[in-house]
Amino acid sequence: MRSASLLPLLTLLLTASVLAISIHSEAEWHGRDYDRALRQVVALPSIAVGTNYEGTRNPLIEVFVRPLYDIPGGYDYVLASSFIDTPMRIGEFRDTVPGFNYTAIKG
Amino acid sequence: MLRKHRNLLDYSFDCLRRYRMRTAVILVTFLVATTMISAVLFAKEGLEREAEFSVEAAPDLTVQYLKGGRVEPINTSYIDIIAGIPGVEKVLKRTWGYAGIGAYTFVVVGLDPEGLDHSRGVITSLEEGRFLKPEDEGTGNIVIGKLIAYMLKVKVGDDIILLSESVEANKFHVVGVFSDSSSIYTADLILMSFSDANKFFSMPEGMVTDLCVYVDPAEDPASVASKMNSVSNIRVLDQDLLLRGYKAAYGARGGIFTTLWTILLVAIAMIAFSQAIVVGHESKFEVGLLKTFGFSTLDIIEVRLVESLVLGFFAASLGMLIGYFYTAFFNAPGLVDILLGWAYLPREFRLPVYVSLQSVFSIYAVTVIPLLITTVVPAWLNAITDPELAMRRAAA
Repeated sequence: MRSASLLPLLTLLLTASVLAISIHSEAEWHGRDYDRALRQVVALPSIAVGTNYEGTRNPLIEVFVRPLYDIPGGYDYVLASSFIDTPMRIGEFRDTVPGFNYTAIKG
Repeated sequence: MLRKHRNLLDYSFDCLRRYRMRTAVILVTFLVATTMISAVLFAKEGLEREAEFSVEAAPDLTVQYLKGGRVEPINTSYIDIIAGIPGVEKVLKRTWGYAGIGAYTFVVVGLDPEGLDHSRGVITSLEEGRFLKPEDEGTGNIVIGKLIAYMLKVKVGDDIILLSESVEANKFHVVGVFSDSSSIYTADLILMSFSDANKFFSMPEGMVTDLCVYVDPAEDPASVASKMNSVSNIRVLDQDLLLRGYKAAYGARGGIFTTLWTILLVAIAMIAFSQAIVVGHESKFEVGLLKTFGFSTLDIIEVRLVESLVLGFFAASLGMLIGYFYTAFFNAPGLVDILLGWAYLPREFRLPVYVSLQSVFSIYAVTVIPLLITTVVPAWLNAITDPELAMRRAAA
């Protein structure tokens, strides 16, 4: 094989691989049904990751959210939306919410 | 005719080898850009899909109590009012909130015993122990997520003590630990019986956090929700609203990154353009020579087009593969904080990764097309110049 043809061949191979992964991923997600029973029982509509909003995991079911513009009575806590962190872990935020004085001990 | 195109192809491939520096610069810069954007897009879409699953599994309607425009605990007397609305199949009460352990915040959910349905296979989401039963009401038994188990180093059979808002020590007994596979939903969850949660949050008698309303499958949840307009002081959330909100939340994180990435892409396109211009000086002579030998302007553009397509698809495909492996198998170190906002993750936590065809084609479009423009345009400008003049200018 001529060395000049190596890059084009690799290009075809890599492009085919990407498309194959994508088709596999599409099929996997379309057929996905794990945890459905659990999620139905717990009934929280969120997933276990932080969001941009101060309500941490469940922004919508506890506060009105500004980007939705459904404002009447809408409120947010003190800090501006955090981009790279979970706001509840930020000291100043915790200071503004009375009662956040928890600890845990292994029994 | 075919032979001509094959020869042009061979010539293009030779050019890729001949202009090694240009090939390397374009490959490396586009590779970096594609790897970054694909890692973010694939993870963001995975998170959005997971959120969609959760919203789809959530109650058709969530009813909350509003006072002065703010959400407050709702009286259980609303259960009968809402259950009496035509189209409502079932109303379950729920008490939930946040608990802090050290510097971290976890979600405590108290489940209505009437909603515990073992026939639906909840047990399969557990790594060890069992799920809650109606008999666990008031016993202090809890099921915890893997993150909490990992952090406190507890297992089934251990006790933990949580200090509540009212500064009371509450002892709980771990009866189950969720599995790694469900971590995306359960990592930060502490599930307990309804009465235990009410006690933990010092909820006044007869009050709960919100109500989960399940609508008759034959009815439209939105129209059932509209029948609740006349009920005082309530706020009704349907699945569509929740879905839009969560997509906005996760999309915003990926969106900010995408904005930064767009700036990077412009810079990279400028580098490619600059490389095309620098090499253009050398290739001007070559183009003049080719035209003297009988190459047409279209032939020269075809050569450059093939070069750019090969380079663009190679860099974009390799970048996407690296982005996929970086996210799916290495949990995207560095990016995971931006996307998840977590300081650390359970050992076996896997970022949800969704490589949609739409994302793949979008990435090809935003990388290959700018590359084509920034390399083919200078080639066209060279190709339309008089060959003798082009060679004289290049030699000067």
